[in-house]
This record gives sequence, C-alpha cells and structure tokens, in this order.
Amino acid sequence: MQFGIFTVGDVTTDPTTGRTPSEHERIKAQVEIAKKAEEVGLDVVAVGQHHNPPFVASSPTTTMAYIAAQTQRILLSTSTTLITTTDPVRIAEDYGTLQHLADGRMDLMMGRGNTGPVYPWFGKDIREGINLAIENYALLHRLWREDVVDWEGRFRTPLQGFTATPRPLDGVPPFVWHGSIRSPEIAEQAAYYGDGFFHNHIFWPSSHTRQMVALYRRRFEHYGHGRADQAIVGLGGQFFMRRNSQDAVREFRPYFDNAPVYGHGPSLEDFTSQTPLTVGSPQEVLERTLGFREYVGDYQRQLFLVDHAGLPVKTVLEQLDLLGEILPDLRAGMAEGRPAHVPDGPTHAGLVAARDAAVAAGSAVPETVEEVSA
Amino acid sequence: MTRVLAVSAGLSVPSSTRLLTERLADAVRADLGPDAEVELVELRPLAHALADHLLTGFPDAELEEVLEKVRLADGLIMVTPVFSASFSGLFKTFTDVMEPGLLIGKPVLIGATAGTSRHSLVLDHALRPLFAYLRAVVVPTGVFAATEDFGDHGLEQRVERAAGELAALVGGRRPLHVVRDEFADPTPFADRLRGLST
Repeated sequence: MQFGIFTVGDVTTDPTTGRTPSEHERIKAQVEIAKKAEEVGLDVVAVGQHHNPPFVASSPTTTMAYIAAQTQRILLSTSTTLITTTDPVRIAEDYGTLQHLADGRMDLMMGRGNTGPVYPWFGKDIREGINLAIENYALLHRLWREDVVDWEGRFRTPLQGFTATPRPLDGVPPFVWHGSIRSPEIAEQAAYYGDGFFHNHIFWPSSHTRQMVALYRRRFEHYGHGRADQAIVGLGGQFFMRRNSQDAVREFRPYFDNAPVYGHGPSLEDFTSQTPLTVGSPQEVLERTLGFREYVGDYQRQLFLVDHAGLPVKTVLEQLDLLGEILPDLRAGMAEGRPAHVPDGPTHAGLVAARDAAVAAGSAVPETVEEVSA
Repeated sequence: MTRVLAVSAGLSVPSSTRLLTERLADAVRADLGPDAEVELVELRPLAHALADHLLTGFPDAELEEVLEKVRLADGLIMVTPVFSASFSGLFKTFTDVMEPGLLIGKPVLIGATAGTSRHSLVLDHALRPLFAYLRAVVVPTGVFAATEDFGDHGLEQRVERAAGELAALVGGRRPLHVVRDEFADPTPFADRLRGLST
C-alpha cells in the first residue's frame, strides 16, 4: 500500500492574511513539499496539469524531473495528466524521458479535468471529452508497446512508421492510472487495459467512489486481468490536522470557507460529514482513512490533498510532519486483514518482475492483454 | 404504480403557489384513482442545499432524495411564483441541478402564481420554453393563478382540465383528446346545467 500527496498546483490568496504567493514561490513550494513528503516517509507525490490561471502547473514533467533529481526514493506521479488536450505523442515522449531520468520512479494518471476554454485553446471540442480520452490513450498505449506505429484516428494527424523515443525503460512502460469521478466509461477503460483506477474521492460523497470502484473491479475481472479484488485502486483524501481537534477546526475554517472549490457553500461540519474531508486530531484522520476500505475494498494507493486553499507552505509542511507520525499506524491498519493475493501498489521494479515472471512462464505480457480481447 | 411528483417553489407561509400546487395535485390524484401516488415537495427547505449544489457539484442527502423522486416520477407538476416577469431563481436552480436528460419524455404540468393577471403569459414565454429545452412533454393546459383568481370562477376548471391532461399522459383512465359528436351522442343536459353553476 502506497501513501502520498497530490496537488493541483493552484495560486490562491491566503484568506487569513490576504497574501497571494507569486508563481515562482508556488512552483518552488511544490519542490519543497515533495522533498518533505519523502523525508516523512511517504511513497508518492503527484502534481497537476492545468493551462490557465490560477494554476501554475502547466508543465508537469519539468516539475517531476526536477523533484526526481532532488529526491532518492519517492515516486512521482500526476493528478492528472490531461489526456484530452495533450498530444499522446508528447505524453509518450515527455513521460518516456522522465521514466529514464527518474530510473523508473514515476507513473502517471490520465484525467479529463479541464476547464472549458482549455479545449478550444488546444484545438479540441469539450463535447468530445470522453472520445478524446479513449482515442488518445489507445494511441499512447501502442506508442509505449510497439516500436513502429502506423496509426490513424479522428483527433490527430495520422502516423506512418512512427517510433516514440526513448523506448520504455527495461522494456516496461510507465504504469498508468485513469482518474474519473463519475464517468463509467473511464472505469471501463481502466478495466479494459488492466490499468489502475483512481477516484478523486475528496469533493464528493463516497457513494460516487463506491459505485465507480465497484464497476472498475467487476470489469477488471471480466477482461481477465485477475480477480476483482486484485484490481489496482487509488483514492484521494483530504485532512487538516492539529494535535487538538478544536485547534484544527479553528485554524482550517477560514481556508475552508474561502476555498476555491467548495468555499462559500456548505459549512465545514456539513462537508466533513458528506465527503471524506477530516478536520481534527491525527487519531481522527487515522480512523477515518482506515474506514475507506469499507466501501472500496483493500486498495493500493492513498493520496492526500494538503497543499491548497491558500495554506502557507509552513502549515503544509507541518501537516506532512503530522501525516508522517500516523504513517506507521496507517500502514499497519491497512495491512490488517489484507489478503495475500491483493497486490501492492505499482512500482517499476514490480512491473519488471511481473513481466519477467510472465515471460518465464511463457504467457503473454500482462500489458498487452487488450490485443487478445479486442 | 403511477407516481406523480408535485413541486412547489413557493416561499411564503402560507403560499399561494403551494395552494395552487395542492389543488393540482388533488385533481391529478382524483383523476388517477387510489393506485396512484401523488406527492408534494416544497423547494423552500431545499434552498440552501440547492445553492450548495451549485458550488460543490453534488446534492446533499435530502436534495438527492428529491432528485431521485423526480427521476422515478411518471409525471411532474411544476409550480413557481412569478418573480421579475419569470420563474423564480429557486425554481430555475432546481432545474439547473438536474442531471442532463432527467426530464426527457416526462409529462409535466406547469403552473404559476402572481399578484396580477398581467403575468399570465409567463407560462408560455418562460416555463414552456424551459421544459421544451429539457425535452419534457408539457401538457397543453398550463395553470396560471393571479391572486384575484382565488376569488373568481374558472380556476377550478383549468385545474381539472390540466390535471386530466397530465393524468391521461401518465396512464390515467381518461383519454387526452375526446371527439364528441353532439348529434350522435349529445351531452346530457344535466351536465350542461352543472357546468353553468360552477
């Protein structure tokens, strides 16, 4: 089981001081936060991709490569890589290069999460969002698995005799997650390829999460990638911790009340009861998080949103210290009663080992199963 | 079982919008008979939940339950007060948070209330186009009630006619359209006398 943090990379005014960090500060803060995440023992740090203010995260692989160079162990991922408006050829090349530079210490999560005008700015039609995600990923999947690709589709200029370079490290493509809050097509897509499925989970009632994960697990088994409880599931989460529960509520409330996504809406109390947001003591966060398994089953990756809503970097780093403190208990709790056949979180080493085992057994490489069922 | 959901966007207590909604609901219930379930929902208690939905993108439990009732309903009665020459913002918000396609093909009886009869066309310039966009099937008779209509003749007949049209569309016993040949089958004179007395 992997634990980590994810961010969208927003520039937001601190509502308690009125101070807005510069883009430079926010970009450097992402690196500082990632290094802290490694220091406290987390496994994953994921960065966002957006192409308009108030976001600074327009070039995720640049940020990821910089973080990779300054860390030793933590795995870099995305939340999310925009599969709708980013050319799949560029994704293959950028992340393919990153995979080599980071010695396999990376993966990525596909998402559609764009604001409206970003589609036309990149020459796309928002009404084709799902189809773009389907076609673009189908091409990306081939680019990482076939040395020479002939391809023609609806949304991109055709390719004849194209080779995406560099070829994947050790011949094993980066692991891919597909993130979606409520589009069954994306759960189906993740299941079809035997990829991971990630549910954002944080701004939404758990009923959405339960429904999407259940569909993904059922279809993962249907497509022959393993049993439903062996599907690779990731969840988001959100907390604000202080040693004393009342202190956490008092300090976080102005950030919550003015937050970009849910601010000026429901009360903190209503939102914490309706969504997985937990504002309280480390013990409360621990217990709430361990409860996620009750509706998604044993899963592989838990990412928390800690860096948002204008929280100062110092506060974010303190949150990571507190997360580091409950991390051993989180790991122990998630390991409790977990069946041996439930896989661990995906890593490059794990994928290489699985590929080698499959080759030794003379069976197909797991990543190319879709050619069989297509 | 046939289910009809009546939605009142009235705000005051007592509310003439609620009163009209009740009259419509009762008339539909009378038309459909005991096997049908006609339920009335007021939007006022959902006002905060509706505003929150605009901001968070999801309904709280109470609002979700009402939206589920809309989904399961065979027909709807939708009644709004007239605010600034149109439906109220609360009424519109309720339609704004519905999932795309929720009302496609669903029979809807529209109603509105106002302080003056000068607003009566609101049914046809505001509500009918809204439900046409949502691809609902709007019954031919809309019921508008100005304050003065509650003390005048005619409202009851319009309520009954509209209710009968909705009932016909959701599987009631009466047909939506009747061709009557007064030579072959004259209306009994007692019916005509009764019609004059109301």
